[in-house]
Amino acid sequence: MERYLRSALIVLALLIVQTVFMPYISIGGFLPDLLLIWVVYTAIRRGQVEAMIAGFLVGLLQDALATQLFGLAALSKTIAGFLAGYFFNENKTDQILGSYQFLLIVGMCSLIHNMVFYMIFLQGSDVPLLWTVIQYSAATTAYTGVISALPMFAFARKAMA
Amino acid sequence: MFERLYTLFLNFREYVLLSGLVVLSLVLLSLNDKPQVKQIRTIMTVGLGILQDQVSFVPRYIGLKTENEILRRTNIELADEASQLREAKLENFRLKHLLGLKNRVEYEFVAGNIVTKNLTLLRNSLTLDVGEADGVRASMPVVNDAGLVGVVIAVSQHYAVVNILLNTDFRASAKIQRSRVDGILAWDGTRLTLKNIAKTLDVKQGDVVITSEYSSTFPAGIRIGLVSDVREQEGSLFKQVVIAPSVDFRRLEEVFVLSSVADPEKTDLEQQVNEFFPR
Repeated sequence: MERYLRSALIVLALLIVQTVFMPYISIGGFLPDLLLIWVVYTAIRRGQVEAMIAGFLVGLLQDALATQLFGLAALSKTIAGFLAGYFFNENKTDQILGSYQFLLIVGMCSLIHNMVFYMIFLQGSDVPLLWTVIQYSAATTAYTGVISALPMFAFARKAMA
Repeated sequence: MFERLYTLFLNFREYVLLSGLVVLSLVLLSLNDKPQVKQIRTIMTVGLGILQDQVSFVPRYIGLKTENEILRRTNIELADEASQLREAKLENFRLKHLLGLKNRVEYEFVAGNIVTKNLTLLRNSLTLDVGEADGVRASMPVVNDAGLVGVVIAVSQHYAVVNILLNTDFRASAKIQRSRVDGILAWDGTRLTLKNIAKTLDVKQGDVVITSEYSSTFPAGIRIGLVSDVREQEGSLFKQVVIAPSVDFRRLEEVFVLSSVADPEKTDLEQQVNEFFPR
């Protein structure tokens, strides 16, 4: 119970940082997705089932704060949690979190997450769909990947201590 | 039987859960226009708005010096413009009087601060700290001193969400001020364009674009921006007209909501005509 309460508080804090402070460090309109990093972390720490549920709930919260397409972030984050869950290994959790593997997993999940997200998000707009999806997904993935290095270094230091 | 099903579920629980959550997400996606969903969003947006209101002083202090310089410069330019406008107003008054034209309707302005900027490149929106309590309603135009900002799409007691020009869902009837050529203003995700401009029509780089009198949402004559690029498209009957908006959305902090809503008599008449003669 205490674990879930702690997770809920962390998610709430990340959601506030994501929506209130992240826009100030946007590059060309692109933002890193802190909540996706959290979903990947949950997958590596707790496994596929928890990651999917976490992804769905976190996505739902993000959807409630957006002005368009309720359910889209829930869908894409559920899929991201499912994919990240394949890298769950009870015996190597700290090793994965504190190494470049974490960046690769975040990068891969972020790319799939963003492609699903933008594929649906861009429906009905006049932009060239495929090119825009690739462009937006790549930019958001790169930024999220860079930011995910911060928890990776923190986990690496913790593991060494 | 149930035991076998249970074992099957245990063996494939990840896939069962994934399918369930995906289906649930798709159901939610199909419920987007339900009032309950809109209600949840309004509550969440208001909560976020209050929070952002508390921390919005951070970037304001950072940008204060630059803002002061811009305001001083704008003040000088406006003082000069005001004296010219005074002359033009007197002249306009005399001419209108002569022609027996109606005076333009005076609108009330509700000043609001931006508490949230939701910049996602395609569907950009703002949240203002004014709402129903201040007289703001959905579909009211939002402007600032530079020109058209957007339109109110949702409103709570003390907050309002605004779709800005740079939103793929935003459309406005606009015209070239010099040549009176009409078009539809739209954001394609990267550029603000004026659509449906035939190749034969007179549009030049540097032309001023304003709202048209054909719009039922926006009063005519509000400045939108300048034509920054005009291109001929091969195999198309239309020109590609790119607009540079007058409003600097990155620096935007305060706006005015215009208490203008579509004339119900006009809307009713148009609706009746559409019902009798469906297109």
